[in-house]
Order: sequence, then C-alpha cells, then structure tokens
Amino acid sequence: MNIDHHGTFQRMIDESLAGVLSADKEQSLRAHLSSCAACGEYLSATNRVIAGLSGFSFEVNPALNARVMAAIRVQAEEDRGILARATGTMRQNSVPFRNWAAFAGALSLSFVGSELVYQMAARLTVPMQIDSAQLRAGVLAFWLLPSLCAALCLLAAPGQKRGLA
Amino acid sequence: MESDTQRIAVGLRRRDFAVLETLVEQYQYRLVRYLASLLGRRDGVDDLVQETWLRVLERGESYDGYSRFEPWLFRVARNIALDAMRKGPMFSLDSHEGDGVRSLPASGEPSPYTLAARTQDAERLAHSLQTLEPACREALVLRFQEDLSLQEISGIVGAPVSTVASRIYRGLAALRLQLEGYPA
Repeated sequence: MNIDHHGTFQRMIDESLAGVLSADKEQSLRAHLSSCAACGEYLSATNRVIAGLSGFSFEVNPALNARVMAAIRVQAEEDRGILARATGTMRQNSVPFRNWAAFAGALSLSFVGSELVYQMAARLTVPMQIDSAQLRAGVLAFWLLPSLCAALCLLAAPGQKRGLA
Repeated sequence: MESDTQRIAVGLRRRDFAVLETLVEQYQYRLVRYLASLLGRRDGVDDLVQETWLRVLERGESYDGYSRFEPWLFRVARNIALDAMRKGPMFSLDSHEGDGVRSLPASGEPSPYTLAARTQDAERLAHSLQTLEPACREALVLRFQEDLSLQEISGIVGAPVSTVASRIYRGLAALRLQLEGYPA
C-alpha cells in the first residue's frame, strides 16, 4: 500500500472521530484497520491525544454554586419588583370599569334625551314654522354635544368622584 | 410524555428555582471547563459563569426544549465571554477567523490546562493546547471533552460544519505532531 492510500484512511480516521464519516466508509475503514499496522498506530496515537483531553481535572470553587443561586434569587426578586411596579402603574393609568359603565349610561341618556327634546321642540314650534333642519342643529348644538362632553368627563373623572352616584 | 429537555424548557419559562438549581449543579463543572478553555485562563471565569446563569434566567424562554440543553447553554456562555473580551482589557481579542475567538493568558499566568494537569503527559498536552489556535482548541474541547456533535458545535460557534470539521482536523494534527511525533 502506498502513502497516499494510508493518507486517505488516516483522513477517514479523523472524520470518524469527528463523527462525520458515513456508515459505508466506516465499514471500509474498519476493514482496512484490521490489516494495516500503520493506520492502526495512527488511530492509537490520535486516541491517546483525545483521551488526554479528558484527563484534566479542573478545580471549581466550592462556593460557586451557592453564589450563583444567590445571584439568581436576587435577580428574580428585582425582576418581580419591577414587574409589580409596572403592573401597578398600568392599573393606575387604566380607566376602571365603573367609569366605563357611567360613560355608557350617560351616552345612552344623551341620545334618548336628545330624541325626546327634539320631538317636544318639534311639537312646540309648529306654530312658529321653524325648519326641521334648524331644529335638529339647535338640539345638536345645545343638547346633544354638551351631554356628550359631560359623558366623556365621566371617563376622565378621578377615583373617588367617578361614577353615576 | 414530557422529555428531560422539555421539562427544562418549561422550568426555565416558569423561572422555577428547583429546575435552575439542578441545572447549576449538573452543568457547573462543564461550564467552568468550557469558559476556562475558551478564554485560555482561569481568572475571571467564575464571574462569567455567574453572568451566564443570570442570562439563562433572563432568556430561558428562548430554549425550545427540542434540542439538547448543553449546546444552548454553551452558546449563551460563549456570547457572554465574547462580550467580556470586547469590553474588558483583561482579555485580548484578535478575530482572524471571523468568529471572535482569540484569547491569551496574562503574561506569566499558567494556563487553565496547566493548572488542571495532574501528570507529566497532561502537562505536555496543556502546553500544546495553549499553542493551538483558539478556534481549533475550542472545536476540540467541544467535540472531545463536551461530546457535542459537529452540528451542535456549528450552532455554538456560528461557523459552518465544514469549518468546524477542518478546525478539528487541524487541531488533532497539531497535537499529534507535538505529542506523538506524527507529521501533519
């Protein structure tokens, strides 16, 4: 066997150890190794190097685990505090349900009230022959819009003073 | 049925201290060993280990639970180490292979492998490892110490599998030459 032939198989040994050699090539490598002392020695030498890599014994500070867990707990507590503050701020800034209910009620009353006012004004102003468009504009400007503004104010009302009561 | 990795993923998402404590106990030694070999020094490794676990706490939900935990952990640790190298004067950085790994021990300080060597052969190997290109050393450590596949190493170092393979071949050739007298 020539040197190139050994070179090919020795390359295959490296590939096998790296875990990238295909199954059929692995088989042909095994067949070659069973009859080639030079490649067998190459494999042994490489295995000695690899075994050496596992022969080191690193010292780990025995207090490191406790230190890490303590740091994790502190960090988790801090994160929880930040989350609680953020949730509290969101709650403070959000419009409570009571305000929404008051707003919805006021909105309904505004529209129903506007319709009633319009009907009443239409009957009362029959003798004056006022145009219905003018009447609608009047009810819109002097009744509906102010009531809508009042309803919106309920949304922005602060805690203790909010609501219908 | 839930696998171990899925249990880890659920525990990390819930920030479960019991799960974290188990992980710290299980992987601490390997994390120290990996970071020491990556940096080429022992000094400062404990701080990076702590930083790594805090990052695990913070970003734990990004671990999907479908792949092994170690490659994900080592990738987190590697990013922390590279950040430290960029920020601090204690580590030098010379990224001639494009992935940012180039570390040297402080002058006069023994390498982590020299400190970890218990025999004369191990001392020789420690010396040889220290002369290797850091990228090759990292590939060898991840493949033969940490028992990761080339695909997993590729995911950690952010280089193609073929590049990782060639680093392993180069590293093995250099060590074989120095320790066994085999020409590359």
